[in-house]
Amino acid sequence: MKKKYALFPGCLMPTEQYAYELSIRETLPLLGVELVDVEGFSCCGEPMKSVNQLLTLYLSARNLAIAQKHHLDMFVPCAMCHLALTECQHVLEKNPAMKERINGMLAAEDLTYTEKRHIVHTVDLLHDEIGIQKIKEHVKKPLQGLKIAAHYGCHILRPREIGRPDDSENPQKIEAILKALGAEPVYYPQKLDCCGAPLLANLPESALTKTGQKLQAIQEQQIQGLVDVCPWCHKMFDSRQTKAGETVAAKLDVPVVYLTQLLGVAFGISTEKLGLELNLSPVEKLQLEGAK
Amino acid sequence: MSIIDLTSMGEPQSELQKELNERLTKLQDEISDYCFQCAKCTSGCEAHKLLELEPHKIVALLKRGLLNELVNADVIWTCMTCLKCRERCPQRVAPVEILFALKNMAVASGKQIPGKYTAMLQSILSIGLIQDIQQTTTRTNKTVKRDELGLPPLSKPTDVAKFQAGIMKIAMEKV
Ligand code: SF4
Ligand code: SF4
Repeated sequence: MKKKYALFPGCLMPTEQYAYELSIRETLPLLGVELVDVEGFSCCGEPMKSVNQLLTLYLSARNLAIAQKHHLDMFVPCAMCHLALTECQHVLEKNPAMKERINGMLAAEDLTYTEKRHIVHTVDLLHDEIGIQKIKEHVKKPLQGLKIAAHYGCHILRPREIGRPDDSENPQKIEAILKALGAEPVYYPQKLDCCGAPLLANLPESALTKTGQKLQAIQEQQIQGLVDVCPWCHKMFDSRQTKAGETVAAKLDVPVVYLTQLLGVAFGISTEKLGLELNLSPVEKLQLEGAK
Repeated sequence: MSIIDLTSMGEPQSELQKELNERLTKLQDEISDYCFQCAKCTSGCEAHKLLELEPHKIVALLKRGLLNELVNADVIWTCMTCLKCRERCPQRVAPVEILFALKNMAVASGKQIPGKYTAMLQSILSIGLIQDIQQTTTRTNKTVKRDELGLPPLSKPTDVAKFQAGIMKIAMEKV
């Protein structure tokens, strides 16, 4: 059965984290997922939560309303966007007064929120909707011998009460997907530590220190690399790795890849199509088939 | 429409302040009943070691009614929103939500917004996103942009005037 979703890109992935988007667009259609590009989406609002929570709620609601207008469920690859949209839907469903108030504002754009959408992230889409069996069937080049750690990102794990893609204290879905690809997921005590990204706006030094500390721990445990599933986490661990190293006075060289990039490599897609050139961390060390 | 309307950097937004006050009072009442200062929230706090944030103390100060002190404290801006405190509290108190309310209150009271939040908000107002398309570099130092990679056009509000009108309502809203 074909699954159809509006691809909700958010802000960060489509404006700079191109490798995530490229690898998503290369891999998911092979697994029977139809991604629909919808015009008119905006920021999910989550980055503004510290400034004005009503603005966050409003922006999320307008995006939900746009998906509703197209009768589409939503695939949201960013952990922050996924939290914002899920939380907003939770609030609007539980609080009729707030729903009315938000709908009053949405009228300015001829939008209205009336019904729930199914909102998935990369991890639950792959693990729960598509399933491990189907992923296995598509593996052409198993990632044999690749010992790699998973970083989930806080926002896809908590708060559990509104429903998140994986367990808040012991998430295992990325590991299960990695095993399906033939890789060997590695446990490390810092698995649930934050990437630091939410502080990037006002305390960038501290944000990068957080990133540096986690990467340093991974490096010291001689784990081959790190897999992530959020453009914010990836911006910290991969794009800013050198800077993060400076904050903890360490020369960091931990290869960091998006889960969808590994998926693509295992499916036999060229590393160029998966945007592997765009990873700034030393991914060549992973010796992924054809990686330059 | 200007950013001032929305964030009240110029003038305090009294209606918004009133609403936030109600929210904080409600949180304060609930907390007085439930939080027993076990400090489990602080033990797992991502910002504790690095930035000395102690969520259980934030709760205690709110319980004692020290709202002004909290709103003006820099430490409320150190939360990484990892949500562990909310998840792990045995009493279902959510320090992270208190912190969001306090930061919103600081902004509504006309305190200066720290860091890049203002720039991000301005960008949202003008194009709907926190930033426009960036040029990035490859590991071999080639520069690339979205379209050169064969990616489709960016999804963003098509009618910016209408989009702004919607947001404007937040600034103008009377509660
Ligand atoms: S907020 Fe919860 S976890 Fe923190 S001290 Fe109070 S009861 Fe304990
Ligand atoms: S959400 Fe903020 S206060 Fe709560 S544990 Fe995380 S960093 Fe600490």
